[in-house]
Amino acid sequence: MFLNHFEYFAPKAPEETLELVGRLGSKAKILAGGTDLMVVMKAKAISPEYLIDINGVEEFKGIFCEEGKGAVIGTNTKLAEIQFSEAIKAKYPALAYAAGEVGSSQVRHMASLGGNTCNASPAAETPTPLVAMGAKVAVSSLSGDRELPLEEFILGVRKLDLAEGEMLTKFILPEPAQKSACRYAYMGRRDAMEIDCVNMAVNIELANDSETVMEVKLVMGSVYPRPLVSREVPALLIGQKLSDELIEKAAEAAQGEAKPIDDIRASAEYRREIVKVLARRLLKEAYAAAKGV
Amino acid sequence: MDKKASKSKWNLTPEGWNLEGVPAYQDEKRYTQVGRSVPRVDGPIKVKGEAIYTGDMTLPGMVYGKIKRSTYAHAIIKKIDYSKALELPGVLTVITGEEAPNKWGIVPQAANETALAVGKVRFYGEGVAAVAALDEETAEAALELIDVEYEPLPVLLDPFESMERAKEVLIHEDSPGNILHEGEQVYGDVDKAFAECEYVLEREFHTNYPQHGFLEPHSALASYDPQNGHLHLWASTQVPHYLHRQMSIVLEIPMNKIRVTLPAIGGGFGGKGEAAASEFVACLLSRKVGRPVKVTYERNEVFFTNKGRHPCHMKVKMGLDKDGYIQAIDFDNTMDKGAYSGWGIVVLFYTASMLHLPYKVPNARFRGRSVYTNKPSTGAMRGLGGVQPRWAMECLLDELAEMMGISPYELKMKNAIESGHTCINNMFVPHTEYKKCLQTAVEKSGYLEKHGKLSFGKGIGMAGGYYITGTAYTLYQNYKPHTSVMIRVDTEAGVTLFCAAADIGQGSNTVMAQMVAEEMGIHFEDVNVQAGDTEIGAFDLGSFASRLTYAAGAAIKMACVEINQKIKETAAGMLGCRADQLIIKNREIYSMYESKKRLPWEKAVEAYTSINGSLVSLGNFSPPRRKGIDLITGNRVQGANIGHSPTFGFSAQVHEVEVDVETGRIYVKKVTEAGDCGTPVNPMSVEGQVEGSIMFNLGACLYEDQKLDAEGKHLNPNFHDYKTPTTMEMPEMDTNIVESYDPTAPFGVKETGEGAVQPTFPAITNAIYDAIGVRFYNLPITPEMVLKALKEKKTTSCDCKCSKEC
Repeated sequence: MFLNHFEYFAPKAPEETLELVGRLGSKAKILAGGTDLMVVMKAKAISPEYLIDINGVEEFKGIFCEEGKGAVIGTNTKLAEIQFSEAIKAKYPALAYAAGEVGSSQVRHMASLGGNTCNASPAAETPTPLVAMGAKVAVSSLSGDRELPLEEFILGVRKLDLAEGEMLTKFILPEPAQKSACRYAYMGRRDAMEIDCVNMAVNIELANDSETVMEVKLVMGSVYPRPLVSREVPALLIGQKLSDELIEKAAEAAQGEAKPIDDIRASAEYRREIVKVLARRLLKEAYAAAKGV
Repeated sequence: MDKKASKSKWNLTPEGWNLEGVPAYQDEKRYTQVGRSVPRVDGPIKVKGEAIYTGDMTLPGMVYGKIKRSTYAHAIIKKIDYSKALELPGVLTVITGEEAPNKWGIVPQAANETALAVGKVRFYGEGVAAVAALDEETAEAALELIDVEYEPLPVLLDPFESMERAKEVLIHEDSPGNILHEGEQVYGDVDKAFAECEYVLEREFHTNYPQHGFLEPHSALASYDPQNGHLHLWASTQVPHYLHRQMSIVLEIPMNKIRVTLPAIGGGFGGKGEAAASEFVACLLSRKVGRPVKVTYERNEVFFTNKGRHPCHMKVKMGLDKDGYIQAIDFDNTMDKGAYSGWGIVVLFYTASMLHLPYKVPNARFRGRSVYTNKPSTGAMRGLGGVQPRWAMECLLDELAEMMGISPYELKMKNAIESGHTCINNMFVPHTEYKKCLQTAVEKSGYLEKHGKLSFGKGIGMAGGYYITGTAYTLYQNYKPHTSVMIRVDTEAGVTLFCAAADIGQGSNTVMAQMVAEEMGIHFEDVNVQAGDTEIGAFDLGSFASRLTYAAGAAIKMACVEINQKIKETAAGMLGCRADQLIIKNREIYSMYESKKRLPWEKAVEAYTSINGSLVSLGNFSPPRRKGIDLITGNRVQGANIGHSPTFGFSAQVHEVEVDVETGRIYVKKVTEAGDCGTPVNPMSVEGQVEGSIMFNLGACLYEDQKLDAEGKHLNPNFHDYKTPTTMEMPEMDTNIVESYDPTAPFGVKETGEGAVQPTFPAITNAIYDAIGVRFYNLPITPEMVLKALKEKKTTSCDCKCSKEC
């Protein structure tokens, strides 16, 4: 269970980091919390020649949350900081909740938000609510930054839209709309140290009448190689006032879209069942929250 | 003072008389040190991270050992080429199985394991070679350079398939049918009894394949001295003596030249109840390179080599007469033995013995077989041999009560044994408060008010159980005492207890100190304990079978007789009275008739030692062997002494569950337990044991299962995917120690470490039935199983008798 031999860099500034990323390219891995990276390296799944430890770069950390202006979260912000941030809990409760469900307390104090995305595990907790809320990521390189929606950044299992010399530097969260709410839920065998067999987030925005759905985004985790954004749920629900029957129909639609696999954690059949249950529960919960009940 | 408190044995009048009018000095139950909730002696250093485990140790010149593991579950080893490994700088040596072919096993009649595989591998991950190198990294790299050529054999993972295909492939050449052992025990006329029964029910039960989940992986540090041929082994084991003995057999070194020392141990639960390959390999490598060698397992190696609980495939039939009294049990058990024998025969016959308690069973038939498969060997795991049959029997009783239309509580109370019970298999129970356990758990939980009356998805279930308090014989033929202690008293070290007992985290060092203090009339804090070392401590058989408190207690009482007598004689001379009139209590010696005649205990010790030197005494304990021989006819009894014990502990549990009927998840919300552990030597420790026991089997009931693929390769050899419950899953617990005192036991003690694991499976299973009207006969009960069962229930009409809208 020993790591391969690698060269270790600990840059102190973003430019220095980007210079290293540009120079070392795919032979390098970025070390933030290391809670996923060290595990896969010990298992010899990957053996990078270089590690770039970004923990000394202050600019990559922190939550910048201003009234009316959404939020910007640095890639190396610890999940525990997000979990306990009063600003995040108030504005993005689904994200705070999801961050608090990752691994154990020890893990959350090490692991970063960027790492949870860049590990690109289908079962990751935080990408699901982030995608539901319409978060974008900033990808930086020496030649500049580009922004893209998170759902386009994660391409598949351990696959990211990241060119040579690029790294993820921050998450940009839009200000939640008036009369909107996002909720997150998961299912696993236990309530800590768990890899979810399904997780899900639902973001609902209502019209001025506080009843008609204007926007809805349902995102499923752990049932597809990347966060799966439902197409059918918005088609069914936008412009509608939600009823139990409609919610049931939408939940069944989500169930139909999910493409889970069988593995040691759960069967595909069970996962599909759970998609329906979580979709039903979350649609009800988010709808009620958006209505302000 | 309320009525309950006034009955307590701890309440005394200001004059020191208890309320029954017995003078304090004649009341042997009035303890001051036994019954104290003192913090564990090993607690603070463990909490602070200062305890030294084997893995923390380094010795001068120490090197590291690693084991090359098989990538096949069943294969002939054609060739092992380690020449490239030897060329790697830093590699000192490589060994293979042929260098130590002597077979070892805790049950000598069936010993068939070797330190490393010889000629053939029988489970995935079995050791085939081992390396010693200057550092761990080099040792690990060297393993990659060892080439092993295998000829794969068919992999048998299911005991029924294993028996069926035995003509085609044998796992052990000397075990025809792939059967380690099969046996039958018949008591009474079972068929006749069934014919006369009013209620008869037969069911099949299948248990899962959990392992122990102790935190500290196996670790061994061996130091062989080439000058004098002495071998010193530090190891994480529960059984220093059996390890000592096996080491002598495998290494062909006399036992008096081997010393086994236990540093702090991070749990065992039976999983360290046999010697381990790590220990043999460390010793073999150390002898070969002449330097200390340490071998510490990774977690996946613990899984590969674990000796977890036997999956049991049980057919159980039980019959009651019209009044609900049990008349007969017919029990057929096929046990999945895994690759090697280990504790196998013993576990097989424990499952037979478990049928006879804690209810009166006049007729019983057992048929069982332990079958080899290409899996890690199953072995001892908390509640050995009891958990599986207890689950089956308590679930069956729940069903039978429903058949009869009475409460399971009523049925169990009706059949529960009482003190002085002799089972039909000759097992003798000197004392029991089992009925009090049932009654307490039921009353405190409100079981009768809730059972069958909660809303759909919520349920309550009850079950009882018992366990032995030590065994009746050593595993090899010998009549020696099972525990010996030596106590030394002087003015330098004070009071020191020497015993080779293994404190594996269960707290034996603490309770032994309490019992010494009690017997000598001093304080727990005055007693030093030297344990876990085969050279320093007097003989002890090991930490298993919940034996240590009873056995050590009896040996301590015996050792203290001589010490107290000598101290009293010395004090008598100093005080001018007779020795037999003296009492030692609270570090003071005084005359029971003239209380002014008193002196501090240490003054008498000082006087004694200044004349005679250190005061040393020995005590020992041999258990009764009553079950093995029929006392009237003198004939050997079927099943011999397996299952017999000096006394037995009891537990009753009520579990309350909530089932999420949409996701299938089961939440155990509350557990009410009542246990008969005799006198609780350390009530706080008892509470810890009981809560730990419940969580242990709550895990195996709902979460834990080792999964292998079709080739026998592990799918979840880590705590990521082998899911144990966490503190988030811990229910509210109300554990109660019922008042109990076994007059035949030292200080009135019984076991508490394994009795409370017994009722957990059936109490949860019965509670799930109460919640959703589905009975499960397979473990673990997973959310997927629940959903599937609920779906099936919807499509068929509900014929369960639960009064719920399901």
